[in-house]
Amino acid sequence: MEFEAVIGLEIHVELNCTTKMFCDCPNRPGDEPNINTCPICLWFPGAIPRFSQEALEKASLLCLGLGAELQPKSAFDQKVYYYPDLPKGFQLSQAHLPLSRGGGIEITDESGKPKMLRIHHIHMEEDVAKLVHEMEGRLPISLVDFNRAGSPLVEIVTQPDFRTPYEAMEFLKALRTQVRSVGSSECSMDNGTMRVDANISIRPRGTDQMNTKVEVKNMNSVRHVGDAIAYEISRQSAAVQAGETVMLHTRLWDPEKKVTLPMRAKFEGPCVPDPAVPVIELSQEWIEKMRTRLPEMPAAKAERLVAQHGLTADEALFLSSDAEVAGYFEELVGQGIAPRTAMHWLTTQLLPAVKERKLELGGSHINPARFAVLLRMLSNNEINANAAREVLAHMFDSDESPETIVSARGFRQVSDTVTLDALIERVLAEQPAAVADLRSGQGKAMGFLIGQVMQASGGKANPKIIRELLSKKLI
Amino acid sequence: MMDKAFIYRNPGADNGAGPLKGLKVAIQPNISKEGWPTEAGSNALVNFKALEDATIVRRLQGAGAYICGSTRMSEFGFGLEGSSAGESVQHNDADAELVLDLMGECRLAAGRASACGFKPSYGLISRLGLVGLIPSMECYGMLSGNIKNIRDMLKAVAGPDEMDFSLPDEKTPDFSAHKIDPKKNTIGLITEAQASLPAGREKTFRAAVEELKKAGFTVREMSMPDFPLFSLVHMIVGSVEASSCAGRYDSVRYGRRAAGAKNWNDMYLLSRGAAFGLLLKSYLIQGAFFQFDRYEAFENACRIRARLIKEIQHLASQAEFLAFPMDSYDSTGAPASLAGTYAQFSSTIIANITGQPALYLPPVSGTAQTGFQLAGPRLSDGRLLALGEHILNARRGGK
Repeated sequence: MEFEAVIGLEIHVELNCTTKMFCDCPNRPGDEPNINTCPICLWFPGAIPRFSQEALEKASLLCLGLGAELQPKSAFDQKVYYYPDLPKGFQLSQAHLPLSRGGGIEITDESGKPKMLRIHHIHMEEDVAKLVHEMEGRLPISLVDFNRAGSPLVEIVTQPDFRTPYEAMEFLKALRTQVRSVGSSECSMDNGTMRVDANISIRPRGTDQMNTKVEVKNMNSVRHVGDAIAYEISRQSAAVQAGETVMLHTRLWDPEKKVTLPMRAKFEGPCVPDPAVPVIELSQEWIEKMRTRLPEMPAAKAERLVAQHGLTADEALFLSSDAEVAGYFEELVGQGIAPRTAMHWLTTQLLPAVKERKLELGGSHINPARFAVLLRMLSNNEINANAAREVLAHMFDSDESPETIVSARGFRQVSDTVTLDALIERVLAEQPAAVADLRSGQGKAMGFLIGQVMQASGGKANPKIIRELLSKKLI
Repeated sequence: MMDKAFIYRNPGADNGAGPLKGLKVAIQPNISKEGWPTEAGSNALVNFKALEDATIVRRLQGAGAYICGSTRMSEFGFGLEGSSAGESVQHNDADAELVLDLMGECRLAAGRASACGFKPSYGLISRLGLVGLIPSMECYGMLSGNIKNIRDMLKAVAGPDEMDFSLPDEKTPDFSAHKIDPKKNTIGLITEAQASLPAGREKTFRAAVEELKKAGFTVREMSMPDFPLFSLVHMIVGSVEASSCAGRYDSVRYGRRAAGAKNWNDMYLLSRGAAFGLLLKSYLIQGAFFQFDRYEAFENACRIRARLIKEIQHLASQAEFLAFPMDSYDSTGAPASLAGTYAQFSSTIIANITGQPALYLPPVSGTAQTGFQLAGPRLSDGRLLALGEHILNARRGGK
């Protein structure tokens, strides 16, 4: 029997707010343990949670960025369970009335067709503390770090629309791009600001059954999510074929062994409306105000880049996946650089050079205005491409303008025909065989001769003019 | 032996200034005053000292009141077992007391002390610094020999607090003394509220109603068939909230951790087992039962609560105020049971469910009068206190 998978994702995204969700403590979980705590996030008697406006705004922007519909009324519930990482016996989470419903992301599936993957709802919740397990001599002890307790999170719960690991990975990549572009989170699985759980079940292909699902956790990269889903599909298929029943449980992905392993039975505590945190009521006016704060979303930006600057769809997609890179490109074009030149030099030269130096585009001192000066000299034939690459390398090490670097280091392109003529005469005298080849119609000798003249000029000659002069002399 | 009523006395002098200058106010140890023992009558908070002043304490002191001490209280203020509420006022050790009113404790304590007991409208006073148990029901109650003290305190403490987001966003009403014209005020009686009264008590309440009529008020008998549901709703919603609220007493960050636990689940069981007394423990277990096993019953109770509030609002369109009989608090000395506790508070619990203000008026001493409760619509606190003053004056023979 052939099986197909039914996959849904639950994605926790940590909002990059300055404070925690219900108090003014800094939202910096990585600091020295238990530094960022107060009576509220430690739930001391008498403390009252104060819901953060910033968390509401960042969460709302995230929802709008994913095409979700903000709900006029949402509320926090108490998710009740007892665990030392939870300082009050319940987690504040929106179980009954989530912040938004609907939304989704369109991806391109394996067959190249567009596919809409829908979001069921997005709700806010607070993060829990971090447990560290150690040995004190032979006694196992558990230490609690409350820095993370109360950090603002949203949970994005998708519809079970996914059928393949590929779709899940494409969705996560697109989600990361969109959330980054609204500025609500870094969405890095690497450092835990995005955590993904996958619910997977299988069914005979072509049926619309919904079978018992298994939840898989502990994937810390998009690739791991794909691998874990692929493993789980084949594990469940083999089990069903062997006549076993799939049980509802949670499994952990083991990235070393590349397998999923069963963990504790899933416990779902009750969710009771919280009487202390007020109901959140959003007016249509407020929602519209938030919408105006929404930057251009990647898909719309890609479309515009194609229409406005004549980029290919792939190029536009690449640029729009990073708002900073796209912004850089548009600034170059705004400085009068041809879109093709800007695209080519940004992606093949500047970005690799920045990466090689372990810098950030915004953190390097090659700002768009400075880079545009260099590209303008290239376009005006004042320097050639070789020289431009070398000038760029110098620009990383000094604050001098590209013009100064070109003049001071003699990168200016040699275009005057008298100087070039002399060089050509010398090369022709030295390479009689190549000259003979060219005259007998062997075109590739031309390239060789141009190269020789370039070398003789120390790389500064204008190759276009060399070609013209050589043609005149020899053909 | 000096302090039967107090567990702690303010070691500092009274040098307040302001409208409440000279007013001695006793608080309970579930109300935070920096550095004071704040154990809320529970082993769960043994040796706990408040880190900062509650908003209500800050505002009382800001208005010149002197917080004279902290009284003995029942565990987390639930019921009156072991509580000395009312005693400091009765013995003139304080001019007023703050007594947390979760199901009527302040009003019943006032009955015991022959004082006035007031439960304000829900949401008028910041809860910051209150070690609470049932957030959606409980209010700071005010107990004093006269209504003026209550009015003055209410004026000083009510109103928005930027530290308490849970306060409803509404205009704080005017609490100044009003003149009450009996001819323009109807007082309603809920038939079902008297149905369960023992014969003797029914007679004394009837006598109090006759006094109201004599004072010129129109008295109107009204039916509310859902009345018996008030206690049930409180029992379910209150216990669920209490179970959540007490979840924090896990011995991880404060409180006393029981020795000998093999793992952390064990630690929870042992520490929480030792933290709570019998009455509270049975209440918390009841709440956990509704949370985990009968969630639909909890949801129904919330729906019925909303309906009860609507029905009471509807009655308000027929009568400006309501009058209720009130049981007296009888301690038998036997450990309190949940059912027994709820039975004692069955006539006061209404105001905690609906969030409306309620006032217990004591009899004038040396008379055959009985005390009773008055209630008004939410935020009618100023007028309710004026009504209370009017009736007390009438009872004393003045006009």
